[in-house]
Amino acid sequence: MSWLYEWWIELAKLLGLPESFQYPFVARGVVAILMLAPLLGGLSHLVVARRLAFFSTTLGQAALTGLVIGVALGQPLDDTYTAILGFCLLVGVIMVYVRRQTTLPPDTVIGVFMAFTLGLGICLLVAATRRFNIHQIEAVMFGSVLTITDRDLVLVMVLGSLLGVGVALGYNLLLSDSLSPAIAKARGAPTTAIDYLFVVVVTIAITVSLKVIGALLVEAMVVVPAAAARNFARSTRGYLVWSIVLAAVSGLGGLFISTIWRVPSGGAIVLALSVCFFISLPVGRWLR
Amino acid sequence: MRETAAIELEHVTIRRDGRLVVDDATLAIAAGQIHVVIGPNGAGKSTLLSAVLGQTPFAGEIRMNLVGSGLIGYVPQSFVADRTLPITIGEFLALSRQKWPVCLGVRPHARTRIATILDRVGLAKPMERRRLGELSGGELRRVLIGNAIDPAPEILLCDEPATGLDPKAVEDLDRLLCSLRDDHKTTILMVSHDRAQVRRIADRVTLLHGVVKQTGTAKQVLARAADVVDDEDLS
Repeated sequence: MSWLYEWWIELAKLLGLPESFQYPFVARGVVAILMLAPLLGGLSHLVVARRLAFFSTTLGQAALTGLVIGVALGQPLDDTYTAILGFCLLVGVIMVYVRRQTTLPPDTVIGVFMAFTLGLGICLLVAATRRFNIHQIEAVMFGSVLTITDRDLVLVMVLGSLLGVGVALGYNLLLSDSLSPAIAKARGAPTTAIDYLFVVVVTIAITVSLKVIGALLVEAMVVVPAAAARNFARSTRGYLVWSIVLAAVSGLGGLFISTIWRVPSGGAIVLALSVCFFISLPVGRWLR
Repeated sequence: MRETAAIELEHVTIRRDGRLVVDDATLAIAAGQIHVVIGPNGAGKSTLLSAVLGQTPFAGEIRMNLVGSGLIGYVPQSFVADRTLPITIGEFLALSRQKWPVCLGVRPHARTRIATILDRVGLAKPMERRRLGELSGGELRRVLIGNAIDPAPEILLCDEPATGLDPKAVEDLDRLLCSLRDDHKTTILMVSHDRAQVRRIADRVTLLHGVVKQTGTAKQVLARAADVVDDEDLS
């Protein structure tokens, strides 16, 4: 991955950015953001189209619980991917199953799961802090570019590419099902499988993004870019492009803010995303 | 000679939240015919159509005897898509007409087909650039009809397709449905409240009021409908 870091360091010099932007950890953060923006920004427009914003928030909460379970099971703090992924997948799949079986409104069902995962996470967290300092898991909860390793980036690149190709192949079915499951089903789309598979895709994307954005803030990255993009876009193509651009701009902006003011990268990225959203409201109205 | 049934319902019972909506419905929809289900509000017509589509759980048996393309078209009664979703009509219609992801653009061959579809349902070609959420109820209905009829399906399920259409558009719709039946042998199962439309195009009509009250020609069933249910209820 060193050629990517060198590329950034050269670019930072060329742009005349302060020396702090040329540090290796910032270079890793920039590369991570440039990889995550197409993945999370691209997924975000489908998450919002499928009305899964609240669902993603719950997955973020479940990631925290998964982290604590991983630690409790003896996994090292910086390598809890399997526990987080396993728990999030379990919660996601059960949530979809219950949502499909009950006549309750989807947000009510998701609210129940959100409360459950949060409650379980807090109880386990308190139990786990008897074994280690709670500040040690701040990086996973709120994100930190300092903890990103080459292995994390390779994981983002490989899984991100696979997910991207998978979503592109099933994109039309996915969007068709988001608009009207009945019409999609009549056309022969496997609507039940789509429902479950999309949750699996979002869960994997969220899990691989945790180191940069943080468990508690990652859902913002799969909701806010699309929410802001909706104010500009006039077509699906525009919606996708704007979502990715806004995710990348906010990601880089947040990373730079985090570097300058020494605040967690996840929080800074989410703040930058929120600023983009609030700017998009009047600008979008003016453009129409 | 006995007509071949494209759709067969045997002892179909549907409950919603414990409430009996359709009770023991047995029905055969002949292939290549327009079969209209009529009945008052709450009679279970849309629910029955939804069960045929596999969207609503039911007891009993529903068989679709597909012998041709196997394509099924569906025109829903309501389309509850998020109206702020930035998707153009062209992109919406391209979703089932190209494999290439629509978010990366509509392909030329799909564009040609979309232009033909819009023409068939009486919408101008520039409409393809308009957003789905900007359409009036009648325009949206035309787009949904266009989406369901191209390519000509083997079975077309329509839930009150004339809702929101002006009289001229209803006439066009009638012609379109008749041409699908006559030229492509499409089997059409339709729910309608429009008695005049039922008289004009239906080959067979079923009066549903929780249970199947009668199946026959439009003349027979509409005459009975007046006795069974309040006339106002039906139209």
